Amino acid sequence: MPPVSTGRVTSTGIVLRNAWFGYGEHNVLAGAELKVKKGETAVLTGANGSGKSTLVYACAGLLPLDRGGVELGGHPVHAKKPAELFRQGVRCGVVFQEGGLMSNMNALANVALPLRYHADVFGIALDAVEALAKEALERVRIREADYYTLPAHLSFGVRKRLALARALAIRPNFFFFDDPDVGLDPDTAALVHEILCSFRDDPEVTMLVATNRELLIDRLAVRGLTLQNGKVFERQSARIA
Amino acid sequence: MRRADRSEARAAGLRYRVATDWPTVTEPPISLFPQRPAHGVRPALVARVGARTVGSYAFAGRLFDTLYRAVTAPFQPGEAAKAVSQRVTVRQIFFTGFEALPLVSVIAVLVGATIILQAQIISALPGEVLGQVLVAVVLREVAPLTTALVVAGRSGTAIATELGNMKVNDEILALTSMGIDPYRFVVWPRLIGTIVSVLVLTVYFGAMAIIGGYLANFLLGTSSFTAMQAGFAAALVPGDLPLFVIKGLGLGVIVGWLCCHFGLEVGSSPTEVPQRASQAVVLGMLACVVFNTAATLGFYWFAGPIVR
Repeated sequence: MPPVSTGRVTSTGIVLRNAWFGYGEHNVLAGAELKVKKGETAVLTGANGSGKSTLVYACAGLLPLDRGGVELGGHPVHAKKPAELFRQGVRCGVVFQEGGLMSNMNALANVALPLRYHADVFGIALDAVEALAKEALERVRIREADYYTLPAHLSFGVRKRLALARALAIRPNFFFFDDPDVGLDPDTAALVHEILCSFRDDPEVTMLVATNRELLIDRLAVRGLTLQNGKVFERQSARIA
Repeated sequence: MRRADRSEARAAGLRYRVATDWPTVTEPPISLFPQRPAHGVRPALVARVGARTVGSYAFAGRLFDTLYRAVTAPFQPGEAAKAVSQRVTVRQIFFTGFEALPLVSVIAVLVGATIILQAQIISALPGEVLGQVLVAVVLREVAPLTTALVVAGRSGTAIATELGNMKVNDEILALTSMGIDPYRFVVWPRLIGTIVSVLVLTVYFGAMAIIGGYLANFLLGTSSFTAMQAGFAAALVPGDLPLFVIKGLGLGVIVGWLCCHFGLEVGSSPTEVPQRASQAVVLGMLACVVFNTAATLGFYWFAGPIVR
């Protein structure tokens, strides 16, 4: 794939300002503030139900905040349409807890979809889309026999890897990963960690990972954050300290 | 009264009264006209009416927001996105229109035949009048409305359920995260799919219903084919074309719009999916009937003299 222009993405990375978000009366985010510099990786931990996924989705611009704002690479995400952000160089790769895969498309079509939809932005020919999608599937070690299978007929581990492949395919410069290694066997978890490490070392990728496994902070040797009572607090990685 | 007290009372020759066992409860008197506060109106009622009004405005706002986003979505830049969206649209027309042909054929032939049969049973009408009945009843009223109801029942439920499940499974969020506008990729193709399908199926329904009517007349053998054809040709006027197109377009928009909107209204719970799908179809059918009546009244109001 040819190099993708980063457009007018500045070095500010992810900026979350005074974020408030609630489900009904319950405020999950209550004035949360977060800054992740361009090329930096942060791992967000917190108890079950503390709002880690909500914070990650809010940072990716997928949830409209009740108050506050989010900027990705200097672009206010809620003020723009998704495709508009993409054209301005903000390419978000989001791996959802449950995958978020298109249930009526097979594995290959799932990965090819964003490439096909943004073929003109990427500057790729439609003939090359399938090859690029297969490349992404090979990177996460999905068997060729599963390429034409619907997500419902795949195991949880394969679905998770498929979601990862779809996010990798668009060569994201903002990567959001919700619960990366939950329910995965050791080999698959090692593969996921390997990919996370490659993103961590890429100066163009800003990454935010939500997990309740604090071990991941030490394993990736990155900045640790905790979400408590709707606010984000810093925590130190044992290896850095 | 305790059991021991009762025994003592019996021994003393006294009859105990069961009623004394019951605790004395002071209840407020039941009134058909409960007392109201001094200002005359119960605050709860005002709050309820207020909440209902605000809720209705909010619902209408969201409803029109869905239509606005869907209609403006194809004008966003992106040639590749346009091509992908067009491919989905063609597939939707196939699912909604082409695959409904057998069902519409059966319904149309039977409806056309039944109407002619009823007209003959009520009074043995001459062939010319039967031809006029086919135009006035079948072509102008039954064909557009029945087609819209069939599409709403068959494809409307499918659209609302599919979109609801996409919401529950985070598929809509996933599309947004990949820079894919759900209104361009999901809603617009389904809206166009229902509009084109209702319009084309209405024409098809009309044709099949006329065939059914002719068949019934032929089997009954009460009036000649030529007389019926003459009546049909005399009743059909150029004004029928815009009426036909307006009804087809309007009913198609209503079915696609409401079903997509209610599908996207689903939150995160799978139990909401059938509820929203049911709401979509019920409200969609009701809106179709209201629109069909309004279109007929409006059309006859403006073009009355030219339509017989």
